[in-house]
This record gives sequence, structure tokens and C-alpha cells, in this order.
Amino acid sequence: MIAVESILQEIEAALAEAQTPEQVEQVRVRFLGRRGKITLLGKETDFRSLSPEQRRTFGSQLNELKRQAEEKIAAALADRQQRAAARAEAQARARLDLTLPGRDRRLGALHPITLVQMEMEAIFEGMGFMVLTGPEVETEYYNFDALNIPPDHPARDMQDTFWLEGGLILRTHTSANQVRALEKYGAPLRAIFPGRCFRYEAMDASHENTFYQLEGLVVDRDISVAHLIAVMKALLGEVFGREVKVRLRPGFFPFVEPGFELDQQCPFCDGKGCSVCKQSGWIELIPCGLVHPKVLEAGGVDPQKFSGFAFGMGMTRLAMLKFGIPDIRLFNSGDLRFCEQFPVVI
Amino acid sequence: MKISLDWLSDFVDLSGLSPQEIADLLTMSTAEVEGVDIIRRHVEGVVVARIVSVESIPEVDPRLKWVVVDCGGQTFNTVCGAPNVRPGLTSVFAPAGTRLAEGHVVSAEQIAGRVSQGVLCSPRELGLSHWHEGILECPGNLPPGTLLSQYIPAQDVLIEVDNKSLTHRPDLWGHYGFARELSAILDRPLRQLGMVDLSTFDHLPAVPLEVEDFEDCPCYGCLLMEFPAAEPAPLVIQRRLHAVGQRTFNLAVDLTNYILWELAQPMHAFDGDLVRAIRVAHAGSVSTFVTLDGQERQLFPEDLLIWDQRQPVALAGIMGGLATEVRPTTRRVLLESANFKASRIRRTSMRLDLRTESAQRFEKSQPPINVKWGVARFLYLLHESAVGVQVLSRFTVAGDLAEEFRTVKLAAGELDRLAGTSIPAAQAVAILQRLGFQAKSGPRGELVVGIPPFRSSKDISIPADIVEEVLRIYGYDNIPPQMPTFSLRPLPVNKTLRLEHRARRLLAASHLFVEVQTYGWMDDRLLEAIGYEPQRPIVLKNPLQSYNRLLRTTLLPNLFALIEKNRFHRQEFRIFELGHVYQMGENGLPCEEARLSGLSFSAQDKYDLEEHFHRIKGAIEDLGLVMAAGPFRFKLQQHDGLPWQRAYRWLTVWQEDRPVGSLGVLEGDIRKVVIPEGGQVVWFELDMEAIQGILWPAPRYEAPPAFPGSVQDFSLLWDAAQGYEALNAILDQFTHLLIQKREFLYVYRGKGLPEGTGSYTFRYWIGHRDRTITSEEIEAFRAEFLAFLNKHNISLR
Repeated sequence: MIAVESILQEIEAALAEAQTPEQVEQVRVRFLGRRGKITLLGKETDFRSLSPEQRRTFGSQLNELKRQAEEKIAAALADRQQRAAARAEAQARARLDLTLPGRDRRLGALHPITLVQMEMEAIFEGMGFMVLTGPEVETEYYNFDALNIPPDHPARDMQDTFWLEGGLILRTHTSANQVRALEKYGAPLRAIFPGRCFRYEAMDASHENTFYQLEGLVVDRDISVAHLIAVMKALLGEVFGREVKVRLRPGFFPFVEPGFELDQQCPFCDGKGCSVCKQSGWIELIPCGLVHPKVLEAGGVDPQKFSGFAFGMGMTRLAMLKFGIPDIRLFNSGDLRFCEQFPVVI
Repeated sequence: MKISLDWLSDFVDLSGLSPQEIADLLTMSTAEVEGVDIIRRHVEGVVVARIVSVESIPEVDPRLKWVVVDCGGQTFNTVCGAPNVRPGLTSVFAPAGTRLAEGHVVSAEQIAGRVSQGVLCSPRELGLSHWHEGILECPGNLPPGTLLSQYIPAQDVLIEVDNKSLTHRPDLWGHYGFARELSAILDRPLRQLGMVDLSTFDHLPAVPLEVEDFEDCPCYGCLLMEFPAAEPAPLVIQRRLHAVGQRTFNLAVDLTNYILWELAQPMHAFDGDLVRAIRVAHAGSVSTFVTLDGQERQLFPEDLLIWDQRQPVALAGIMGGLATEVRPTTRRVLLESANFKASRIRRTSMRLDLRTESAQRFEKSQPPINVKWGVARFLYLLHESAVGVQVLSRFTVAGDLAEEFRTVKLAAGELDRLAGTSIPAAQAVAILQRLGFQAKSGPRGELVVGIPPFRSSKDISIPADIVEEVLRIYGYDNIPPQMPTFSLRPLPVNKTLRLEHRARRLLAASHLFVEVQTYGWMDDRLLEAIGYEPQRPIVLKNPLQSYNRLLRTTLLPNLFALIEKNRFHRQEFRIFELGHVYQMGENGLPCEEARLSGLSFSAQDKYDLEEHFHRIKGAIEDLGLVMAAGPFRFKLQQHDGLPWQRAYRWLTVWQEDRPVGSLGVLEGDIRKVVIPEGGQVVWFELDMEAIQGILWPAPRYEAPPAFPGSVQDFSLLWDAAQGYEALNAILDQFTHLLIQKREFLYVYRGKGLPEGTGSYTFRYWIGHRDRTITSEEIEAFRAEFLAFLNKHNISLR
């Protein structure tokens, strides 16, 4: 009779050696092929020499052996095929690593002042303000006289202002644009003036001789303190992305009357008191006020017919708050380790 | 400005309010409070003591004295080293066991065989102030043995107000001004400042007085009197002066200082035996003056001085003179109470760096009425001090005391219009009256306001000033915010700014540039090193550094300076700056324009310089497209220009027929300065004003060819030294009806080519708009083109 078990063991041993689908196929041919060992068992046995009983037994043993052999080989083939596919996939993945960082990036960086300026311009343009610019080399007239700052005012001392030949100065504030704008556009007017300003000042972590301001001016009929407060609240809400609590308290600037300091409740501690607000719960943010009648007159606008408000924001200071920059000297340092940190906004 | 709550309480009831609440009220209605400090004094157990005897103990220390003090029936022995210890002086004594300032507990000590039973105290030991030059001197009429705490409470609170928020409020440089503010804010009564009626002395002779310049000295008042000027001032005066940081001296000087801190009126006490007449005049030819601090001051002719019959006796409004100050023997005092022009005092005090309390107050334009009130208050306080006083002259005044209320009217509705809310007239009137104004509603609803003489005319003169007075007490937080309504109309667009932002975005978003900002001036040392001499620069009169005199005429030197600063942490980088440059125009007017400058640096000398340059040139070409909506053109420069512009190493940039900038590579001597450690630099500078920008260009659409054409590539051998542009110019001359487009593909220079030549490959698109091109036409085109090349001695590779 047939040594079924030993042949099956022989097949299993051969399959164990076979690593690839092709080698499994070779095993199949060796046992089940046209001249395979099992095939030959059927062909080479002389059935006539067997009794009917033996013939039946032989037949069923042979069929069982074939079935089991086919089953084992098919299982092995499936296994080897799966393994081969897995290998091929691994090789493909090894050639195409999608997790590597992207390449050919062309982004540099914009200066943080530029970023804040672009943002402020967008906010104010959305509120219907013109964006105007003026000269940095300014006359005493526009920087001081036209703004009701008298000739003997301390701000005009050499200690505070960079003086140039010919009675010119480097503007000390963007307020210098107020009367220029009124002269050019008249009333009503809604405009902001972002720009670079200069003060003769010793530098430390919070003092710079070169910095950026953003001046705002609204002149129209019946402009009031109530309007000023509402516009400032709306503005700060946009800048900080949430409703902010503000307070208005007296402040003195010759070109406004009444003059205010607008404080914002400290966004870092919600007014509880922290190091940023020096434990006061408030941050002094925007000097502002109703435009002084003399300034309107200097700009050729009749203060009997029009009133207005003006406000100034330190853009450099805003950038320090926004980006958490601790030292104002970094802005003009040209140090790429600083300048590179700020993303391009398109 | 420091305000003592102890002092304020003389004039307004502050009960029920914490110091912080008072500080907050002042911040919200008057001026910014910077801090609240509690003064803790060590007066418990300290008693008034009269010094009975003083005896030297040279065997221990020549400065030390054995002192016997009488503390009201009980005498103590003590050792004292203070220079002012003397028999008959009334001071204060802390017996052993008393706890003094800085944690010091007095103990009995054995010295030279005797027991010291306590100490006589200095103001610092008592926690009054930091003065420690001698023991506290008390008026002689204080009974020995009295507890010091009867005169000096153990605690006071100081509110510190930001001086910058008081520049327009001369009245707030004294306590009484703040008392008036709190009275108005709290709606509590303000007690009158005690003053003596000066008219009672009108029968007395005047002090000889002459003012030569009423502009610099609008008003001068004086009074001659006799009183024990050198005696110590009452302790209530002394404790308050100490509280605000003012050193005490004697009755005459302390009272002037007290009034300076109370009414904000600076005064001066001359020795009345030495100074018998007053003349106010400029220094003129007098070049020096010794102030009472013993310093000799250099004078300018325009400085204002107070003179007696012969010589200067005070630096007007700033400091008195050493020779005529009140001395221990002084009995007669000539009291000065004057008004000086703010700018005059400011200039002199700034120049001399003599920033006295007096000068600071005059700089704020004190009202002239204080000239009179100061003297009246001085006499009142003198009477309060319970010393004998004899007035020897009438109150003598030259100039205008400006005693009248000044009237200003607010039209009906003006207050509500500027406030943006409705404020009842009665409430406005009440607020103004509490602030010392006269106010009433007029027949047509207008508000008629009398501005009190103690409020400076520089501070209050127009209706808007009155609006501020009402609103700050009414409370800005009580005004409901209201958005203005504006008419809708298109606004002019700031094209310049938009194009600047566009340029910034292009460089930073597409060409790896990092934006930097540099200062508005250049560095002389760098300019000299690179050999750059700016034309008609604008010069700073007061540069922060002597070598930062010149405003920048180009942005490049400042950018060059950043290379060395950054190369130690970057192998290569690209930076740009968009900022202003300045120059004096031919017409003498300043000329300011925006420039866009940048550079690309590589520390690698071996990096392909041509490749490097053309990457940056590509960025400039992109700038032309996004800003000017058309390509820039470039012209190779055959001559040296500025130090960074070297012949054949730089191009000018053109928009149509206008030069708009330049770019090049850094070569020559300048490299040794800018990149001493080597590397490559490509630089550019564009004149933003010269570029005629187009915000929203509208190029015409061109349909692509509808019929198949042909693409023909030609590689041409060309003298590389002549460059691409020359070859391109020749090709421009070849015109042919079939040519639809010509494109430069690449250049090859290297092996297999004749020495000095390059192979320039061009691609031609040829075809018809209305039909398909034939192979015969292509062949004919090639033949014509090759003939053209042949004519120009150009061969195919």
C-alpha cells in the first residue's frame, strides 16, 4: 500500500525549504507534476495485480494523498506569494518615503514690524480708513508747531529729538502726518499713518531711538469721545481676536483736548495682575483724544463745523506684545536668528 | 510727585477710602499714579529731650560727646557723635530698649567708664527719611518728656504720581492741587488754605524792587520780616517734608519748601540784613555765580539772576546764592515769591544740570497768583508756628498777579456734542464749581465758565479744555461707546504702499529673502573703509555716536555690515530691506525716497558665481513682473560706479527708458572690508520711486496656435567673453514670418568646444496661424537662418 505519511512528510520537508512561490511550484511539479512522485504512483502501479479490495484501498489512499498534498502546496504557495508581495511592498516603500520633509521651499521671512503693519492696515482698511504715509525727514512745523507744541516745549530739546541742518528733524511721531493729511484731503477724513519715528534716546531693552508708530485720525461732523471709545474697542477686538475691556483716563498731549490714555485690561492675566502689566491689571496702550481745535485750524478745517479724534499706537510695542519679543533692540539688529522667525503672510 | 495722605487730610476728608482706592480715583480722573508706598516710622518710646550739657571725650574719639539730656524731670546720659549736638537744643531721645529703624534696638552701653542710656536720634533712625547728617532738631517750645508720637504719627502713605502726566498741570505740583481734585472727585468739601490778609501791611514801606524783563519774570513779590528764622520748624512741617524726601534746615527755609510742596509755589528766603533791595536782571557780563550748594556755576548772558544793590544773590527760580542764605544768626528775612518764564528756567537749569524742585515747578508755568498766595500762606504758617513775627515791609509786587477769573463760554450742546452723551447742565456746573471754577448756565443754554486764576492759562483757555475738566470728573467710563456712522465712498488706494508690500512678499515668499531693518544713518568708519563718499548727505546735528552723522543715501552699506554679523551662524543667506534714503536736493530741500535693496551671501568661494548671480537676477526679473507688469531690462556697465559697482561686474536695471536700479557682484578692494574671510556677495538696489507700478495689470489674452507648427533647436558657438546679450541682439535682427517665439534654453562652456567659446542653445517655434506648416517650409526656414548665421560668422556646434 502507499506510504502516505512518509510522502506527506517528504512534501512538508521540501516545502519548508521553498522560500519563493517559484520554489513551491518546483515542489508541486516534483510531487504532483506530470512526472511527479504522486502522479507516477497512480501511473506505475499495476492495478491488475491488485484485488478489488486492494484496488479500492489504493485508490482512496492515492486520492487522499493527492488532496492533502495539493492542500499543503496551495497553502505554502499562498504563504510564499503573500510574503513575496510584502517584500515587494517594503522595497517600494523604501524607495518612496512620503514622510521625509518637503523640499524646494522658497520662503524667506518678513520683518515682524512689516507683519504687524500689514495686519493693522488690513483691519483699518476694513473699517474704511485710508492708509497714508509721510516723510521721515520732517519740518519743525509739521512735527511740532502745527500740533500745538510751542517753541519752548521740552520735546523740542536736543535731548529728545534728532536735529538736522536747515531746521529739519527726524520726525518724533507719526502725528506729524495729521496736518499734512488735513491739508491734502480736508474733512471729513479717516486715515491711518504707519511709519518710522526717531527719538534721541539712550538704548536699552525697552528703549530704541528708531521705532514704528501708527497714527489714526478721524475728522467728521460731531465726532465725540463716545465715538473714540467705540472705535478703539472695535480695533482692539480685531487685533486681539476677542472682546477687550478698556478704560479711558486723562492723559496730556498738546495736540488733543481732551487727551486720554487708553488702557487695555491685561490680556496675559485678564486683569488679575502679572509681570507684563506690572501687577496693575492694565496695559497702557493707546494715547488718544479729541483733535485740538488748533490742529484742525492748522489743517484748514473749521473746528466750528468739524471735530475729530486721533490716536497713536506703538507698532513696535504691539509687535513685542504679539510675538513675545523681550528686547526692543532686536528689531534693528539685522540678526537673522531673530529676523528669520517670522512667517511670510501672502 | 509724591503726595502724603497725612498732608492731604488737612484739606479733604479721606475717611473710608483705602490708599489704593484713592490712587485709582486719581488715576482715572486726574493723573497716573505709579505707586503707593507706606512709610513706617519708629517713634514709639521716643521722647522730646532738651540737651543740658555736652562734654568731649577725646580719649575715645574726638568726634564723640558725652551728652546729658532732660526728658521732663528725668535726665539721661548718652554718647552722641552728631555735628549739630549742642546745649539748649531740643531733640528726641530713645532710651534703651527702643526699637528704631532698620531693626536697630537701642541698648545701654558702657563707654569710657560711663553708661550711655540711650541715643539721640537722626531722621533716618526714626524712619522719617534717609537723612542722617545730624540729630533731629525740634522747636524749643516743645516740653521735654513729651512722646514724639504726639507730633509724628507712626505711619503715613505716599502716593507717587507720574511726573510726565503733570506737565500741563502746574497746580498739581503741590498737595493742595491734589486735595482739590479729590474734593471734586469725591464730592467732599475742600478746606480753605489758611492765609494772612496781606493788605494789613500796606501802610509799611515797600522793598526797593526793580524788574528789568517782565517777559522772563512776569511777576515778582517780596516781603521783609523779622522772626527766629534759624530755629527748627514745627515737627508737623518737618515730618511732611521728610515724607516727600525733602531735607529740613530751619524755620525759614523749611516753610518755603513746605509751600513749594503744598501750593507748588517755589520761594526763597534771603538773609534780610544782607539783601535789602531786589533787582531782577539777566546775567549779562557776569560769568559765574556760587549757588547755596557751594558750586560755582558758569553763566550765559541770558540767564536770569536776582540781584541786590550790588551783586547777584540768586539764580532766578532755580537756586539761591551761598552768600545770602539764612544762617544761624539770621533774624531778618527777605522773602521772595516770584513767577518766572518756564522756558527761561528750563534752559538754564537743563544746561547747568541743576534740576531743582523749584526749577521743575517753574518749568510748568506756575500761575502768577501764587506769588501773592505764597507770601500770605508763609505768614499764616509762621503764626501757626507760634514764634514772634514782625512784618517790616508791605507786600511789594512788580508785574501782574493775574488775580481775575478768565471767562470762557461753551455754546449750548457743545459739551454733549463732544462727549457723545447727554450730561445734565446742573451736573456740569457742580463739577466745575468743585474744581474751583465759576460756572452757570446762560440764558440760551450756553455754559458760562470762569477759569480760576490758579489754573494756568496754558492748561485752560478754550471750550475743549472745559469739556475735559467736566468729563474727567464725570468719568470717561460713564460715557457709553457709540460707533460713528460714516458715508460710504471709495477711498484713494495707497498704491506706493501696496506695491512695496507686494515686493516684500515676492522676495520673502518666492526667493528665500529675509527682511531686515537697519538704522536710518550710516557708519562713517565703514564708508571710509570702502571708499564711499555720499553726495549731498543730510547731516545729523546731534548723532548718538560721532560716526553715525550721515543719514543713509543708500541702504547697501548697512546691509554689507550685516554679513560679518551673521556669517558665524549662517553659511549662506539672502536679506533685503525696504526703507527710506535721504539726500539734500540741489534746491536745498530734503529729498527722501524709498529704496529696495538686498544682498545674497555665500561663504563658499567655490559656489558657481554666475549661477548665484542669475538666481538673484531672476528675483529682480520677477519683481519687474509683479510691480511694473512688464520685464525689466538690464545693461552691462563697462565703467566703475560706486565702490561696489565694478566695471563688467554690475548691471543697471531699466523699466522702459527709465533707470530704476542696479545689481552686481561684489569684487575688488571692497571685498577685503565687507567679506574679509571670503565668500560671494550679489547685491541689488532698486529705486522704488522710479518704478512706475501697476496695481492690477490687464494683459491681452493671446490664443495658442491652432495649427501644428515645428520646434527647431539650434546650438550656436559664440565668444563667451562677449556674452549672451550681444548674441541675443544679433538674433533679434533675424526676422521671419514663420517665427512665433524664440527661447533661450541653456549655455554650455567646457570640454569639446574651442577655447573661449560657449554653445548657446536657442529654440524657435515656427508655424502659420491659419494652416499647418509643411516640411518644405521648415527646410526653407532652416536654410535662411543658417545663411543668416553664416553672414555673422556664427557656426552651429
